[in-house]
Amino acid sequence: MVDPSTAKRLVQVIHDNLPTPVPGRRPVHTIGIGVKGKFIASDVARTYCIAEHFDGAPVEVSIRFSNGLGGLEQHDGWSDVRGMAVRFHLKDGTASDLIATTLGEFFVRNVDDFFKFSEIAKREPFKRRHWLLKILDFLQLKIPQRNPYPGETQSIDEGALRYANQHRFSQLGIFQVGLIGAPESYARASYHAVHTFWVTAPDGVRRPVRFYWQPVAGVNNTDPKAELRDKYLFDELKERLKRWPARFMLMMTIGEEGDALDDCTKPWPGTRLRIAMGTLTLTGIPEGAEQAEAGERISFNPCRLAPGIEASNDPILEARLGAYEVSREMRGGCPFKWSADNA
Amino acid sequence: MPDNVGVMDRFVDRLPETAFFKFVAARILVPFWAWWTPVKPLPGGPHPSFQHGDNVQCMMNLIMPLKDKSPVGRAHAAMAIAQHKDAIFAGLNNVGTVHFARFVIVGDNICMFSVYDGDFTNYIRDFIATIGEVFDAVVGLVEGGEEITPCEKNVEAFIQWVHEHDLYQVPDTPTDFLRDQERLNGDKAVAPVNDDLTLLPRKMVLQLRANANVSLGSGYRAYPGYSVAQVRKQLGLGW
Amino acid sequence: MVDLSDLQGNVLRGYKDRPYVRYLILEVADRNAARRWLAAAISGRDQEVPQITSGDWGKAKPQTCFNIGLTYEGLRALGTPDSSLGMFPNEFIEGMTARAVKLGDVGASAPETWPAPFNEPDRIHLIATIYAEKIEQLDQVQQHALDRNALTLLGTREGYNFNGDFVHFGYRDNIMQPRFEGIHDPERHADGQPLAPLGTVLLGHKTNLEGLFWRVPQPEVLGHNGTFNAFRVLKQDVAGFENYLDQAATDLLAHPKVDEVLPPGTETDICQALPVESPSRHAALREIVAANLCGRWRDGTPLALSADVPDRNVDRAKFDYDENSRCPYGAHIRRCNPRGGQIVQRVANNSRRLIRRGVPYGPAYERDKAGDAGKAEPERGLLGNFIGASLGAQFEAMSCDWLNLGLQDPRITGSNDPITGTNDPDTSWFDLPLKSGGTIRLRGLPEFVNTRGGAYTFLPSLPAIRYLGSLTT
Repeated sequence: MVDPSTAKRLVQVIHDNLPTPVPGRRPVHTIGIGVKGKFIASDVARTYCIAEHFDGAPVEVSIRFSNGLGGLEQHDGWSDVRGMAVRFHLKDGTASDLIATTLGEFFVRNVDDFFKFSEIAKREPFKRRHWLLKILDFLQLKIPQRNPYPGETQSIDEGALRYANQHRFSQLGIFQVGLIGAPESYARASYHAVHTFWVTAPDGVRRPVRFYWQPVAGVNNTDPKAELRDKYLFDELKERLKRWPARFMLMMTIGEEGDALDDCTKPWPGTRLRIAMGTLTLTGIPEGAEQAEAGERISFNPCRLAPGIEASNDPILEARLGAYEVSREMRGGCPFKWSADNA
Repeated sequence: MPDNVGVMDRFVDRLPETAFFKFVAARILVPFWAWWTPVKPLPGGPHPSFQHGDNVQCMMNLIMPLKDKSPVGRAHAAMAIAQHKDAIFAGLNNVGTVHFARFVIVGDNICMFSVYDGDFTNYIRDFIATIGEVFDAVVGLVEGGEEITPCEKNVEAFIQWVHEHDLYQVPDTPTDFLRDQERLNGDKAVAPVNDDLTLLPRKMVLQLRANANVSLGSGYRAYPGYSVAQVRKQLGLGW
Repeated sequence: MVDLSDLQGNVLRGYKDRPYVRYLILEVADRNAARRWLAAAISGRDQEVPQITSGDWGKAKPQTCFNIGLTYEGLRALGTPDSSLGMFPNEFIEGMTARAVKLGDVGASAPETWPAPFNEPDRIHLIATIYAEKIEQLDQVQQHALDRNALTLLGTREGYNFNGDFVHFGYRDNIMQPRFEGIHDPERHADGQPLAPLGTVLLGHKTNLEGLFWRVPQPEVLGHNGTFNAFRVLKQDVAGFENYLDQAATDLLAHPKVDEVLPPGTETDICQALPVESPSRHAALREIVAANLCGRWRDGTPLALSADVPDRNVDRAKFDYDENSRCPYGAHIRRCNPRGGQIVQRVANNSRRLIRRGVPYGPAYERDKAGDAGKAEPERGLLGNFIGASLGAQFEAMSCDWLNLGLQDPRITGSNDPITGTNDPDTSWFDLPLKSGGTIRLRGLPEFVNTRGGAYTFLPSLPAIRYLGSLTT
């Protein structure tokens, strides 16, 4: 558990790196849309985890899709991480949250790494690379830095690259961010919860697992050479849900002895057991005041977990517990109860 | 909002796709960098691991160049396999750790792609013990094959030869690929670390020059983590 | 057939009456002096250096025995021609430290953690073993052996064979060794297993895999009748093992099926037979767990012959495994040697056998004194030698596929050996079989054994030692 002052520092550091302040909003994943859905667990889910939402009965779900970049300007078409935060509503009024992003692994292992990263990877002016320098890159068989998007004047990419060059554990995460692109639809991307959790089976056996959402419609990114659109994802989702349901499979990978359980910069290999835990169907997008509740005021926490699921000792996961609460208070987000008897 | 994109900017952005640049890259740049920063070929086979999931359903991609590089040579290879099909299947059944295996002729190579459990040398050695004569027949048609046949009398050399013809498996993540190269060159992580990630494309190109044939990634598995015997037992097929 | 006087004595004999053992880990200091040392060691002239004990003792039993093994680096340091060096098997050339992942030497057993002299594997050239009746003789022979400036002493390891062949975990060991075709061995009882072909242990002879021959490094005199040894310093956490038995017994007492595991009343028989100091159901369950993890009761009775209670009257060596055997598939001795039992790799039955010459090191564990005054337990364990004609086909194949992965039986695949495996208590498991056919899954097994050093050595025949001693280039 991270102490409150560190949690505040974490949030502050993120705020400091914003292009413009975002009063009353999230400092990252600022732009987002709230969606309603239903989750039905598979027939084997309950043999791995006793949590209520895995017992097979349909569960109401609140979801928020978002763009990763902090700031009030919406740039759907820019290469950016996307978020999918899911709240499983349990019978007694509590809930279990699962927060996932399209980035498969994080780029820092703990809070100290994160502060160091924030010092090195600050927003810097981002201009088009001179064509002579690009030719020099080609001669060295290097790929030159991408051109800035229309209206993009600042970026942390250079700083992040400097950090990656000096810290091997961060290289995969930062490298993947560079290539992540923009999805055609929020419903056509894979979202990874990144951190390890421990699930308890009915016979008491605990297993270390990682979750990810797999889109039934398949992954599809936009063509980076096509013209960029700044606002299309919300409309796309609305249109999509009018035509046919959008579904995700919840996959759970079981870790083995020797896997990095508490290190979220290390992905688990594809040779691990993969369990299909259930299917999520997006049912509708609230409008008006309900959208403000579902898309803005809602506040998730990666450590809000149903009995049967526990957090691992991943230091970033622990830090997020505190940081998310601090951020929620700062922006006036809706508090949500942690257990049945507290409001 | 248009930014000031000059003629040269647009030209240079399109440069890598032009035939001219591709020619220069392939004929001049790559050989130059291969000479300036030499890269050793990486060894084949799955990456060593002591974890269970990594030691079942391992991939083998064996590429063996034929001696006789003509349709007649390929026909000989095809006949060699066809004549011994029963022996091959019996051998595979007896080794007990092979999920899938197939012989494929690609160009002037006879290839074997298989999915097996456990240690590579045990799998090949058990194979030699059961279908050694089939190996002799096939490997006799391959470049360099006469030095290691009969395989029963040259067990260690044969296993080494197979290992050398097994393709390098490019890791699933680019960073693991960088670590493979570094390990081969004996670079330990010196502190302070100062890599240059922008060199990744060049390192990849040079490696693919040293290892002309590679397997991309460790492969997809529909039901990872299970051995042959576990699957057969679970499905009631007898092991 | 083979002439026993051509072989080093420790390959086919256990030197039972010489319980004090010391391993000298040596580096070649001067090539020519080392060659002369080798030549002197088989010259028959005892004054210069201790004589290498052969397999044929003639009339007089020696008081002390002396044998050597050479690593690849050692053969190189002696100036063995490159063409010969290249004919040695890959795993021997790479050395044990390079095979760490395959052998499961990871984490606390990783070669990076090994203490001196095993942390400098390239300097380990020769491992000489002294076996003595009395402890003073060890120093005498060591002094005698190091008289010349041929070899530098890098370190020693010492062990003592407990009375009754017990090892630190409390089991009676040394019950089984393979019997060989063509070797007259009157002491060994019939064990029901087929005689092992000589090629199981000696290069240049037929092996257990039909038609296969291991490469004999040339010239013939160098490789013929030689063999390979995996020397391992295995630290054993006896306190942890006994604590685990406590925990497992407590868990079983609370299990609904405990009466199937330990029928009420049988605890007295078990505790009497072993014997156990304070008999109780808990104590009997501890012994049942210990028996199932190993495959033998701690007094040596094999579970395959007597699963309910230890029985002094059974022939400890003579048994085989079939579907009715109540020895767990994952038990240690069954993993190491599945005998004729059903295994996935059908051609490999009896092909991965090893000669084991081990001796415990460190003080015996005393349970009642454990945890005294917060003192840390002294290090204890096994100095193990696993001898076979092919390291890759026998020792490594057994370690990798059978001990660590459990590939030979789908019922144990995915679990490590319960006693020697790299077990993580969060994920480890072991299935205890019940008479009715079901199993109880034990969990939380920690690592009991850590590797603290080792080397692959070549045990040359006496003619080979003569050849090496006579090299001049």
